[in-house]
Amino acid sequence: MNTVVASITYRAMLGRKRVWLLALLPIALIGFALLFRFIGGGDESVAVDLMKIFAIGTVLPLLGLIAGTGVIAPEIEDGTIMHLMSKPISRPVIAFTKFVVAASLMVAFSVIPTYVAAYILIGTESGIASGFALGALFAGIAYAAVFLLLGVVSRHAVTIGVIYALVWEGLIGGYVPGARRFSIQQWAQSIADQVTTSAFLKSEVALSFAVPAMIIVVAGSVVWAGQRLRVLSLTGDE
Amino acid sequence: MSQPTGVIHDIGYRHYDGPRLGRGGAAVALWVYSLRGTFGLGRTFKSKIMPFLLFGAMMLPAVVSIAIMALLKQAPLSYTDYAVFMQAVIAIFLAAQAPVLVAPDLRHRVIPLYLSRPVTIIDYIGAKLAAMIAALLILMVVPLTLQFVGEMLIDLPMPLHTHEYLAGLAGSLINAVLLASIGLTLASFTPRRGLGVASVIAFYMFTLAASTVLFGVFTSEGHTEAAGWGFMLNPFFLVNAVQVNLFGTPSTSGEPVPGGAGPALVVVAVVLLALAALYARYRKALAA
Repeated sequence: MNTVVASITYRAMLGRKRVWLLALLPIALIGFALLFRFIGGGDESVAVDLMKIFAIGTVLPLLGLIAGTGVIAPEIEDGTIMHLMSKPISRPVIAFTKFVVAASLMVAFSVIPTYVAAYILIGTESGIASGFALGALFAGIAYAAVFLLLGVVSRHAVTIGVIYALVWEGLIGGYVPGARRFSIQQWAQSIADQVTTSAFLKSEVALSFAVPAMIIVVAGSVVWAGQRLRVLSLTGDE
Repeated sequence: MSQPTGVIHDIGYRHYDGPRLGRGGAAVALWVYSLRGTFGLGRTFKSKIMPFLLFGAMMLPAVVSIAIMALLKQAPLSYTDYAVFMQAVIAIFLAAQAPVLVAPDLRHRVIPLYLSRPVTIIDYIGAKLAAMIAALLILMVVPLTLQFVGEMLIDLPMPLHTHEYLAGLAGSLINAVLLASIGLTLASFTPRRGLGVASVIAFYMFTLAASTVLFGVFTSEGHTEAAGWGFMLNPFFLVNAVQVNLFGTPSTSGEPVPGGAGPALVVVAVVLLALAALYARYRKALAA
Protein backbone atom coordinates (compact mmCIF):
# COMPACT_ATOMS: atom_id res chain seq x y z
CA MET A 1 0.00 0.00 0.00
CA ASN A 2 1.52 3.28 -1.13
CA THR A 3 -0.46 6.41 -0.29
CA VAL A 4 1.06 8.58 -3.03
CA VAL A 5 0.19 6.05 -5.73
CA ALA A 6 -3.27 5.74 -4.20
CA SER A 7 -3.90 9.49 -4.20
CA ILE A 8 -2.75 9.80 -7.83
CA THR A 9 -5.06 6.96 -8.80
CA TYR A 10 -8.00 8.52 -6.95
CA ARG A 11 -7.38 11.79 -8.75
CA ALA A 12 -7.28 9.99 -12.12
CA MET A 13 -10.53 8.14 -11.39
CA LEU A 14 -12.53 10.96 -9.83
CA GLY A 15 -11.12 13.98 -11.63
CA ARG A 16 -13.37 16.19 -13.74
CA LYS A 17 -15.76 14.38 -16.07
CA ARG A 18 -14.43 10.91 -15.29
CA VAL A 19 -16.44 10.67 -12.07
CA TRP A 20 -19.72 10.80 -14.04
CA LEU A 21 -19.02 7.43 -15.59
CA LEU A 22 -18.92 6.02 -12.04
CA ALA A 23 -21.72 8.16 -10.61
CA LEU A 24 -24.43 7.91 -13.26
CA LEU A 25 -25.25 4.23 -12.74
CA PRO A 26 -25.74 4.37 -8.94
CA ILE A 27 -27.77 7.57 -9.40
CA ALA A 28 -29.99 5.69 -11.87
CA LEU A 29 -30.32 2.80 -9.39
CA ILE A 30 -31.51 5.11 -6.62
CA GLY A 31 -33.71 6.94 -9.14
CA PHE A 32 -35.46 3.68 -10.02
CA ALA A 33 -35.96 2.87 -6.35
CA LEU A 34 -37.60 6.28 -5.85
CA LEU A 35 -39.75 5.83 -8.98
CA PHE A 36 -41.02 2.41 -7.88
CA ARG A 37 -41.65 3.68 -4.37
CA PHE A 38 -43.60 6.57 -5.92
CA ILE A 39 -45.82 4.42 -8.17
CA GLY A 40 -46.45 2.12 -5.23
CA GLY A 41 -44.38 -0.90 -6.29
CA GLY A 42 -42.48 -1.06 -3.03
CA ASP A 43 -43.08 -4.71 -2.26
CA GLU A 44 -40.59 -7.45 -1.64
CA SER A 45 -40.58 -9.08 -5.08
CA VAL A 46 -39.99 -5.73 -6.82
CA ALA A 47 -37.13 -4.97 -4.45
CA VAL A 48 -35.53 -8.38 -5.02
CA ASP A 49 -35.94 -8.02 -8.79
CA LEU A 50 -34.44 -4.54 -8.86
CA MET A 51 -31.54 -5.71 -6.71
CA LYS A 52 -30.96 -8.91 -8.67
CA ILE A 53 -31.30 -7.57 -12.22
CA PHE A 54 -30.15 -4.00 -11.81
CA ALA A 55 -27.92 -3.65 -8.75
CA ILE A 56 -26.09 -7.00 -8.80
CA GLY A 57 -26.67 -7.89 -12.45
CA THR A 58 -25.79 -4.59 -14.14
CA VAL A 59 -24.43 -1.82 -11.93
CA LEU A 60 -22.01 -4.04 -10.03
CA PRO A 61 -20.21 -5.67 -13.00
CA LEU A 62 -20.17 -2.40 -14.95
CA LEU A 63 -18.66 -0.45 -12.08
CA GLY A 64 -16.26 -3.30 -11.44
CA LEU A 65 -15.24 -3.04 -15.08
CA ILE A 66 -14.86 0.74 -15.00
CA ALA A 67 -13.10 0.86 -11.62
CA GLY A 68 -11.05 -2.34 -11.99
CA THR A 69 -9.65 -1.61 -15.44
CA GLY A 70 -9.81 2.18 -15.01
CA VAL A 71 -7.23 2.29 -12.22
CA ILE A 72 -4.49 0.83 -14.41
CA ALA A 73 -5.44 0.16 -18.05
CA PRO A 74 -5.49 3.81 -19.28
CA GLU A 75 -2.00 4.33 -17.84
CA ILE A 76 -0.72 1.26 -19.67
CA GLU A 77 -2.53 2.30 -22.83
CA ASP A 78 -0.92 5.73 -23.07
CA GLY A 79 2.41 4.62 -21.62
CA THR A 80 2.44 6.86 -18.53
CA ILE A 81 2.70 3.75 -16.33
CA MET A 82 6.42 4.05 -17.14
CA HIS A 83 6.74 7.01 -14.77
CA LEU A 84 5.22 4.94 -12.00
CA MET A 85 7.21 1.79 -12.68
CA SER A 86 10.55 3.59 -12.85
CA LYS A 87 10.15 4.64 -9.19
CA PRO A 88 11.62 2.46 -6.46
CA ILE A 89 8.26 1.00 -5.48
CA SER A 90 7.79 -2.74 -5.71
CA ARG A 91 5.45 -3.65 -8.55
CA PRO A 92 3.27 -5.99 -6.44
CA VAL A 93 2.78 -3.04 -4.05
CA ILE A 94 1.65 -0.89 -7.00
CA ALA A 95 -0.80 -3.61 -8.06
CA PHE A 96 -2.09 -4.02 -4.50
CA THR A 97 -2.52 -0.26 -4.07
CA LYS A 98 -4.46 -0.03 -7.33
CA PHE A 99 -6.64 -2.90 -6.14
CA VAL A 100 -7.39 -1.18 -2.83
CA VAL A 101 -8.37 1.99 -4.69
CA ALA A 102 -10.65 0.06 -7.06
CA ALA A 103 -12.24 -1.85 -4.16
CA SER A 104 -12.88 1.35 -2.20
CA LEU A 105 -14.49 2.92 -5.28
CA MET A 106 -16.75 -0.13 -5.49
CA VAL A 107 -17.83 0.41 -1.89
CA ALA A 108 -18.58 4.08 -2.48
CA PHE A 109 -20.32 3.78 -5.83
CA SER A 110 -21.93 0.36 -5.67
CA VAL A 111 -22.30 -1.08 -2.17
CA ILE A 112 -23.67 2.04 -0.48
CA PRO A 113 -26.09 2.90 -3.34
CA THR A 114 -27.28 -0.73 -3.33
CA TYR A 115 -28.13 -0.45 0.37
CA VAL A 116 -29.75 2.97 -0.09
CA ALA A 117 -31.87 1.81 -3.03
CA ALA A 118 -33.11 -1.28 -1.20
CA TYR A 119 -33.77 0.78 1.92
CA ILE A 120 -35.82 3.31 -0.07
CA LEU A 121 -37.94 0.49 -1.49
CA ILE A 122 -38.69 -1.63 1.55
CA GLY A 123 -36.70 -0.35 4.51
CA THR A 124 -35.02 -3.10 6.51
CA GLU A 125 -37.71 -5.70 5.79
CA SER A 126 -36.46 -9.32 5.50
CA GLY A 127 -32.87 -8.07 5.59
CA ILE A 128 -32.93 -7.54 1.85
CA ALA A 129 -31.02 -4.25 2.01
CA SER A 130 -28.22 -5.54 4.22
CA GLY A 131 -28.07 -8.90 2.43
CA PHE A 132 -27.63 -7.41 -1.02
CA ALA A 133 -25.22 -4.76 0.28
CA LEU A 134 -23.07 -7.50 1.80
CA GLY A 135 -23.24 -9.51 -1.42
CA ALA A 136 -22.34 -6.42 -3.43
CA LEU A 137 -19.40 -5.74 -1.11
CA PHE A 138 -17.81 -9.16 -1.60
CA ALA A 139 -18.65 -9.43 -5.27
CA GLY A 140 -17.51 -5.85 -5.87
CA ILE A 141 -14.11 -6.65 -4.39
CA ALA A 142 -13.92 -9.79 -6.53
CA TYR A 143 -14.86 -7.90 -9.71
CA ALA A 144 -12.31 -5.18 -8.92
CA ALA A 145 -9.55 -7.78 -8.50
CA VAL A 146 -10.42 -9.79 -11.63
CA PHE A 147 -10.80 -6.76 -13.88
CA LEU A 148 -7.60 -5.22 -12.51
CA LEU A 149 -5.79 -8.40 -13.54
CA LEU A 150 -7.44 -8.25 -16.97
CA GLY A 151 -6.33 -4.64 -17.34
CA VAL A 152 -2.71 -5.66 -16.74
CA VAL A 153 -2.82 -8.77 -18.90
CA SER A 154 -4.65 -7.55 -21.99
CA ARG A 155 -5.13 -4.41 -24.05
CA HIS A 156 -8.68 -5.52 -24.69
CA ALA A 157 -9.47 -5.78 -20.98
CA VAL A 158 -12.76 -3.92 -21.15
CA THR A 159 -14.07 -5.95 -24.09
CA ILE A 160 -13.09 -9.25 -22.49
CA GLY A 161 -14.63 -8.12 -19.21
CA VAL A 162 -17.85 -7.20 -20.98
CA ILE A 163 -17.97 -10.58 -22.69
CA TYR A 164 -17.53 -12.25 -19.29
CA ALA A 165 -20.24 -10.16 -17.63
CA LEU A 166 -22.73 -10.10 -20.48
CA VAL A 167 -22.24 -13.38 -22.31
CA TRP A 168 -20.90 -15.75 -19.65
CA GLU A 169 -22.81 -14.50 -16.60
CA GLY A 170 -25.83 -13.16 -18.48
CA LEU A 171 -26.50 -15.48 -21.41
CA ILE A 172 -24.69 -18.76 -20.78
CA GLY A 173 -25.35 -18.55 -17.04
CA GLY A 174 -29.04 -18.21 -17.88
CA TYR A 175 -29.16 -21.55 -19.71
CA VAL A 176 -26.33 -23.66 -18.33
CA PRO A 177 -26.55 -24.25 -14.57
CA GLY A 178 -22.88 -25.29 -14.35
CA ALA A 179 -21.74 -21.90 -15.66
CA ARG A 180 -23.38 -20.22 -12.69
CA ARG A 181 -20.83 -21.73 -10.34
CA PHE A 182 -18.16 -19.58 -11.98
CA SER A 183 -20.15 -16.37 -11.92
CA ILE A 184 -19.28 -13.62 -9.46
CA GLN A 185 -22.89 -12.38 -9.62
CA GLN A 186 -24.15 -15.73 -8.41
CA TRP A 187 -21.67 -15.70 -5.52
CA ALA A 188 -23.06 -12.30 -4.54
CA GLN A 189 -26.57 -13.77 -4.58
CA SER A 190 -25.46 -16.67 -2.37
CA ILE A 191 -24.19 -14.24 0.23
CA ALA A 192 -27.32 -12.10 -0.06
CA ASP A 193 -29.47 -15.20 0.31
CA GLN A 194 -27.61 -16.13 3.49
CA VAL A 195 -28.52 -12.84 5.16
CA THR A 196 -32.01 -12.17 3.85
CA THR A 197 -35.04 -14.21 4.82
CA SER A 198 -36.95 -13.19 1.69
CA ALA A 199 -38.64 -16.07 -0.14
CA PHE A 200 -38.17 -14.34 -3.52
CA LEU A 201 -34.44 -14.93 -3.66
CA LYS A 202 -33.17 -18.40 -4.44
CA SER A 203 -29.43 -18.66 -4.79
CA GLU A 204 -27.96 -21.29 -7.08
CA VAL A 205 -24.49 -21.68 -5.66
CA ALA A 206 -23.76 -23.05 -2.22
CA LEU A 207 -22.13 -20.63 0.18
CA SER A 208 -19.47 -23.24 0.97
CA PHE A 209 -18.38 -22.95 -2.67
CA ALA A 210 -18.91 -19.23 -3.17
CA VAL A 211 -16.86 -17.91 -0.27
CA PRO A 212 -13.67 -19.94 -0.83
CA ALA A 213 -13.95 -19.33 -4.57
CA MET A 214 -14.18 -15.60 -3.95
CA ILE A 215 -11.15 -15.57 -1.64
CA ILE A 216 -9.09 -17.58 -4.12
CA VAL A 217 -10.12 -15.36 -7.03
CA VAL A 218 -9.32 -12.12 -5.19
CA ALA A 219 -5.99 -13.23 -3.76
CA GLY A 220 -4.94 -14.99 -6.95
CA SER A 221 -5.84 -12.04 -9.17
CA VAL A 222 -4.01 -9.45 -7.07
CA VAL A 223 -0.87 -11.59 -6.76
CA TRP A 224 -0.87 -12.48 -10.45
CA ALA A 225 -1.44 -8.84 -11.43
CA GLY A 226 1.60 -7.89 -9.34
CA GLN A 227 3.71 -10.58 -11.00
CA ARG A 228 2.54 -9.54 -14.47
CA LEU A 229 3.39 -5.93 -13.71
CA ARG A 230 6.99 -6.98 -13.00
CA VAL A 231 7.44 -8.24 -16.55
CA LEU A 232 5.18 -5.75 -18.31
CA SER A 233 6.46 -4.67 -21.70
CA LEU A 234 5.13 -1.57 -23.36
CA THR A 235 4.60 -2.26 -27.02
CA GLY A 236 1.77 -0.57 -28.84
CA ASP A 237 -0.62 -2.66 -30.89
CA GLU A 238 -1.96 0.16 -33.04
CA MET B 1 36.54 37.23 -51.55
CA SER B 2 33.54 35.34 -50.29
CA GLN B 3 32.34 32.24 -51.99
CA PRO B 4 28.73 31.14 -51.59
CA THR B 5 28.82 28.75 -48.65
CA GLY B 6 25.46 27.04 -49.03
CA VAL B 7 24.06 25.55 -52.19
CA ILE B 8 20.51 24.32 -52.65
CA HIS B 9 20.78 21.01 -54.39
CA ASP B 10 18.10 19.60 -56.59
CA ILE B 11 17.60 16.24 -54.94
CA GLY B 12 14.81 15.18 -57.21
CA TYR B 13 11.60 16.02 -55.41
CA ARG B 14 8.71 15.81 -57.83
CA HIS B 15 5.35 17.40 -57.98
CA TYR B 16 2.24 15.30 -58.00
CA ASP B 17 0.77 15.67 -61.46
CA GLY B 18 -1.93 13.01 -61.27
CA PRO B 19 -5.64 13.64 -60.94
CA ARG B 20 -6.77 15.28 -57.71
CA LEU B 21 -9.82 13.53 -56.35
CA GLY B 22 -10.90 16.41 -54.14
CA ARG B 23 -13.31 16.41 -51.25
CA GLY B 24 -15.42 13.44 -52.34
CA GLY B 25 -12.40 11.25 -53.00
CA ALA B 26 -10.88 12.09 -49.64
CA ALA B 27 -14.13 11.36 -47.81
CA VAL B 28 -14.53 8.02 -49.59
CA ALA B 29 -10.91 7.10 -48.82
CA LEU B 30 -11.52 7.92 -45.15
CA TRP B 31 -14.69 5.82 -45.20
CA VAL B 32 -12.92 2.79 -46.68
CA TYR B 33 -10.00 3.16 -44.27
CA SER B 34 -12.37 3.41 -41.27
CA LEU B 35 -14.51 0.48 -42.41
CA ARG B 36 -11.40 -1.68 -42.79
CA GLY B 37 -10.35 -0.49 -39.35
CA THR B 38 -13.57 -1.71 -37.71
CA PHE B 39 -12.66 -5.26 -38.73
CA GLY B 40 -8.96 -4.78 -38.01
CA LEU B 41 -8.00 -5.12 -41.67
CA GLY B 42 -4.68 -3.47 -42.33
CA ARG B 43 -3.95 -3.57 -38.61
CA THR B 44 -2.10 -6.08 -36.45
CA PHE B 45 -3.37 -9.61 -35.95
CA LYS B 46 -4.35 -8.75 -32.37
CA SER B 47 -6.85 -6.14 -33.49
CA LYS B 48 -8.46 -8.62 -35.89
CA ILE B 49 -9.27 -11.20 -33.18
CA MET B 50 -12.16 -9.41 -31.49
CA PRO B 51 -14.18 -8.28 -34.56
CA PHE B 52 -13.84 -11.61 -36.30
CA LEU B 53 -14.68 -13.54 -33.14
CA LEU B 54 -17.86 -11.51 -32.78
CA PHE B 55 -18.66 -11.85 -36.47
CA GLY B 56 -18.27 -15.62 -36.09
CA ALA B 57 -20.61 -15.61 -33.09
CA MET B 58 -23.13 -13.68 -35.18
CA MET B 59 -22.99 -16.31 -37.95
CA LEU B 60 -23.43 -19.25 -35.60
CA PRO B 61 -27.26 -19.23 -35.31
CA ALA B 62 -27.62 -18.89 -39.10
CA VAL B 63 -25.39 -21.92 -39.67
CA VAL B 64 -27.26 -23.95 -37.05
CA SER B 65 -30.56 -22.82 -38.55
CA ILE B 66 -29.48 -24.00 -42.02
CA ALA B 67 -28.47 -27.34 -40.57
CA ILE B 68 -31.86 -27.68 -38.86
CA MET B 69 -33.67 -26.74 -42.09
CA ALA B 70 -31.67 -29.29 -44.07
CA LEU B 71 -31.95 -32.16 -41.61
CA LEU B 72 -35.31 -31.67 -39.93
CA LYS B 73 -37.16 -29.66 -42.61
CA GLN B 74 -38.24 -27.12 -40.01
CA ALA B 75 -38.82 -23.41 -40.47
CA PRO B 76 -35.71 -21.22 -40.18
CA LEU B 77 -35.00 -18.88 -37.30
CA SER B 78 -37.16 -15.79 -37.55
CA TYR B 79 -35.43 -13.16 -39.71
CA THR B 80 -37.08 -10.32 -37.84
CA ASP B 81 -35.95 -11.58 -34.42
CA TYR B 82 -32.31 -12.22 -35.31
CA ALA B 83 -30.99 -8.86 -34.13
CA VAL B 84 -32.94 -9.05 -30.86
CA PHE B 85 -31.66 -12.56 -30.11
CA MET B 86 -28.09 -11.61 -30.89
CA GLN B 87 -28.23 -8.16 -29.31
CA ALA B 88 -25.44 -8.86 -26.82
CA VAL B 89 -23.00 -9.70 -29.64
CA ILE B 90 -24.01 -6.65 -31.69
CA ALA B 91 -23.71 -4.39 -28.65
CA ILE B 92 -20.27 -5.76 -27.78
CA PHE B 93 -19.15 -5.27 -31.38
CA LEU B 94 -20.37 -1.68 -31.30
CA ALA B 95 -18.71 -1.01 -27.95
CA ALA B 96 -15.42 -2.65 -28.93
CA GLN B 97 -15.11 -1.10 -32.39
CA ALA B 98 -16.69 2.38 -32.16
CA PRO B 99 -13.77 3.72 -30.07
CA VAL B 100 -11.33 2.23 -32.62
CA LEU B 101 -12.80 4.65 -35.18
CA VAL B 102 -12.72 7.83 -33.14
CA ALA B 103 -10.32 7.51 -30.19
CA PRO B 104 -6.86 7.46 -31.87
CA ASP B 105 -7.48 10.63 -33.91
CA LEU B 106 -8.68 12.45 -30.80
CA ARG B 107 -5.86 11.18 -28.61
CA HIS B 108 -3.12 12.14 -31.04
CA ARG B 109 -4.86 15.43 -31.90
CA VAL B 110 -4.65 14.88 -35.64
CA ILE B 111 -8.11 16.16 -36.58
CA PRO B 112 -6.62 19.52 -37.75
CA LEU B 113 -4.34 17.53 -40.10
CA TYR B 114 -7.39 15.92 -41.73
CA LEU B 115 -8.96 19.35 -42.05
CA SER B 116 -5.88 20.78 -43.77
CA ARG B 117 -6.99 18.64 -46.72
CA PRO B 118 -10.23 19.23 -48.65
CA VAL B 119 -12.11 17.21 -45.99
CA THR B 120 -14.52 19.22 -43.84
CA ILE B 121 -15.66 18.30 -40.32
CA ILE B 122 -18.99 17.11 -41.75
CA ASP B 123 -17.16 14.82 -44.20
CA TYR B 124 -15.01 13.46 -41.39
CA ILE B 125 -17.95 12.67 -39.10
CA GLY B 126 -19.98 11.43 -42.07
CA ALA B 127 -17.23 9.04 -43.18
CA LYS B 128 -16.76 7.66 -39.64
CA LEU B 129 -20.52 7.28 -39.17
CA ALA B 130 -20.99 5.65 -42.57
CA ALA B 131 -18.14 3.26 -41.78
CA MET B 132 -19.73 2.22 -38.46
CA ILE B 133 -23.14 1.84 -40.11
CA ALA B 134 -21.61 -0.28 -42.88
CA ALA B 135 -19.73 -2.43 -40.37
CA LEU B 136 -22.90 -3.05 -38.34
CA LEU B 137 -24.82 -3.79 -41.55
CA ILE B 138 -22.23 -6.38 -42.55
CA LEU B 139 -22.51 -7.89 -39.07
CA MET B 140 -26.32 -8.17 -39.25
CA VAL B 141 -27.09 -8.64 -42.94
CA VAL B 142 -24.55 -11.35 -43.82
CA PRO B 143 -26.04 -13.99 -41.44
CA LEU B 144 -29.59 -13.12 -42.55
CA THR B 145 -28.61 -13.41 -46.20
CA LEU B 146 -26.73 -16.64 -45.63
CA GLN B 147 -29.78 -18.12 -43.95
CA PHE B 148 -32.04 -16.87 -46.76
CA VAL B 149 -29.79 -18.37 -49.43
CA GLY B 150 -29.82 -21.60 -47.41
CA GLU B 151 -33.60 -21.51 -47.26
CA MET B 152 -33.80 -21.01 -51.04
CA LEU B 153 -31.48 -23.93 -51.73
CA ILE B 154 -33.17 -26.32 -49.30
CA ASP B 155 -36.65 -27.20 -50.53
CA LEU B 156 -38.82 -26.60 -47.50
CA PRO B 157 -42.48 -27.70 -47.56
CA MET B 158 -43.53 -24.06 -47.01
CA PRO B 159 -43.33 -20.77 -48.93
CA LEU B 160 -40.12 -18.73 -48.74
CA HIS B 161 -39.98 -16.18 -45.93
CA THR B 162 -39.20 -13.37 -48.40
CA HIS B 163 -41.30 -10.76 -46.61
CA GLU B 164 -39.68 -11.56 -43.26
CA TYR B 165 -36.24 -11.47 -44.84
CA LEU B 166 -36.85 -8.03 -46.35
CA ALA B 167 -38.31 -6.79 -43.05
CA GLY B 168 -35.20 -8.12 -41.32
CA LEU B 169 -32.99 -6.21 -43.77
CA ALA B 170 -34.90 -2.98 -43.17
CA GLY B 171 -34.71 -3.57 -39.42
CA SER B 172 -30.95 -4.12 -39.71
CA LEU B 173 -30.59 -0.78 -41.49
CA ILE B 174 -32.57 1.07 -38.81
CA ASN B 175 -30.61 -0.74 -36.11
CA ALA B 176 -27.29 0.10 -37.73
CA VAL B 177 -28.11 3.81 -38.07
CA LEU B 178 -29.43 4.09 -34.51
CA LEU B 179 -26.62 2.10 -32.87
CA ALA B 180 -23.84 3.72 -34.91
CA SER B 181 -24.94 7.24 -34.03
CA ILE B 182 -25.31 6.46 -30.32
CA GLY B 183 -22.09 4.41 -30.18
CA LEU B 184 -19.87 6.88 -32.03
CA THR B 185 -21.21 9.81 -30.02
CA LEU B 186 -20.58 8.12 -26.66
CA ALA B 187 -17.15 6.87 -27.78
CA SER B 188 -16.10 10.30 -29.06
CA PHE B 189 -16.38 11.88 -25.62
CA THR B 190 -13.17 10.25 -24.45
CA PRO B 191 -9.84 9.98 -26.27
CA ARG B 192 -9.12 6.73 -24.38
CA ARG B 193 -10.20 3.52 -26.02
CA GLY B 194 -10.87 1.58 -22.81
CA LEU B 195 -13.11 4.26 -21.39
CA GLY B 196 -14.91 4.53 -24.73
CA VAL B 197 -15.66 0.80 -24.70
CA ALA B 198 -16.85 1.06 -21.11
CA SER B 199 -19.17 3.99 -21.73
CA VAL B 200 -20.81 2.44 -24.80
CA ILE B 201 -21.37 -0.91 -23.09
CA ALA B 202 -22.53 0.83 -19.91
CA PHE B 203 -25.18 2.59 -21.98
CA TYR B 204 -26.34 -0.70 -23.50
CA MET B 205 -26.35 -2.70 -20.26
CA PHE B 206 -28.15 0.13 -18.50
CA THR B 207 -30.94 0.22 -21.11
CA LEU B 208 -31.14 -3.58 -21.11
CA ALA B 209 -31.58 -3.88 -17.34
CA ALA B 210 -33.72 -0.76 -17.02
CA SER B 211 -36.14 -1.92 -19.72
CA THR B 212 -36.49 -5.36 -18.06
CA VAL B 213 -37.07 -3.93 -14.59
CA LEU B 214 -39.43 -1.16 -15.76
CA PHE B 215 -41.46 -3.59 -17.85
CA GLY B 216 -41.78 -5.99 -14.94
CA VAL B 217 -42.81 -3.37 -12.40
CA PHE B 218 -45.21 -1.48 -14.66
CA THR B 219 -46.88 -4.73 -15.71
CA SER B 220 -47.34 -5.94 -12.15
CA GLU B 221 -48.77 -2.52 -11.24
CA GLY B 222 -51.19 -2.67 -14.19
CA HIS B 223 -49.76 0.23 -16.22
CA THR B 224 -49.76 -1.71 -19.50
CA GLU B 225 -49.04 1.25 -21.77
CA ALA B 226 -46.17 2.49 -19.61
CA ALA B 227 -44.83 -1.08 -19.52
CA GLY B 228 -44.72 -1.16 -23.32
CA TRP B 229 -42.79 2.11 -23.42
CA GLY B 230 -40.50 0.95 -20.62
CA PHE B 231 -39.52 -1.93 -22.88
CA MET B 232 -38.66 0.57 -25.64
CA LEU B 233 -35.73 1.84 -23.56
CA ASN B 234 -33.65 -0.98 -25.03
CA PRO B 235 -32.65 0.18 -28.55
CA PHE B 236 -33.05 -3.32 -29.98
CA PHE B 237 -36.65 -3.58 -28.79
CA LEU B 238 -37.32 -0.05 -30.03
CA VAL B 239 -36.16 -0.98 -33.53
CA ASN B 240 -38.13 -4.21 -33.27
CA ALA B 241 -41.25 -2.16 -32.55
CA VAL B 242 -40.60 0.06 -35.58
CA GLN B 243 -40.21 -3.10 -37.64
CA VAL B 244 -43.50 -4.48 -36.29
CA ASN B 245 -45.33 -1.26 -37.12
CA LEU B 246 -43.81 -0.98 -40.59
CA PHE B 247 -44.08 -4.56 -41.79
CA GLY B 248 -46.71 -6.16 -39.59
CA THR B 249 -44.31 -8.89 -38.45
CA PRO B 250 -44.86 -10.38 -34.97
CA SER B 251 -42.88 -8.75 -32.15
CA THR B 252 -40.01 -10.76 -30.67
CA SER B 253 -41.16 -10.46 -27.07
CA GLY B 254 -44.69 -11.62 -27.97
CA GLU B 255 -46.00 -8.54 -26.18
CA PRO B 256 -47.93 -5.86 -28.09
CA VAL B 257 -45.68 -2.90 -28.91
CA PRO B 258 -46.61 0.79 -28.86
CA GLY B 259 -48.29 1.28 -32.22
CA GLY B 260 -48.40 4.12 -34.71
CA ALA B 261 -45.48 6.35 -35.53
CA GLY B 262 -44.35 6.70 -31.88
CA PRO B 263 -41.36 4.31 -31.86
CA ALA B 264 -40.19 5.53 -35.29
CA LEU B 265 -40.30 9.15 -34.09
CA VAL B 266 -38.28 8.19 -31.01
CA VAL B 267 -35.65 6.55 -33.26
CA VAL B 268 -35.42 9.66 -35.45
CA ALA B 269 -35.23 11.96 -32.42
CA VAL B 270 -32.49 9.88 -30.76
CA VAL B 271 -30.44 9.74 -33.98
CA LEU B 272 -30.73 13.50 -34.52
CA LEU B 273 -29.84 14.21 -30.91
CA ALA B 274 -26.81 11.91 -31.06
CA LEU B 275 -25.59 13.44 -34.32
CA ALA B 276 -25.99 16.97 -32.95
CA ALA B 277 -23.92 15.98 -29.89
CA LEU B 278 -21.31 14.34 -32.14
CA TYR B 279 -21.04 17.48 -34.28
CA ALA B 280 -20.76 19.70 -31.20
CA ARG B 281 -18.05 17.39 -29.83
CA TYR B 282 -15.90 17.74 -32.93
CA ARG B 283 -16.40 21.49 -33.14
CA LYS B 284 -15.03 21.61 -29.61
CA ALA B 285 -12.17 19.23 -30.38
CA LEU B 286 -11.18 21.56 -33.19
CA ALA B 287 -11.24 24.67 -31.05
CA ALA B 288 -9.18 23.04 -28.31
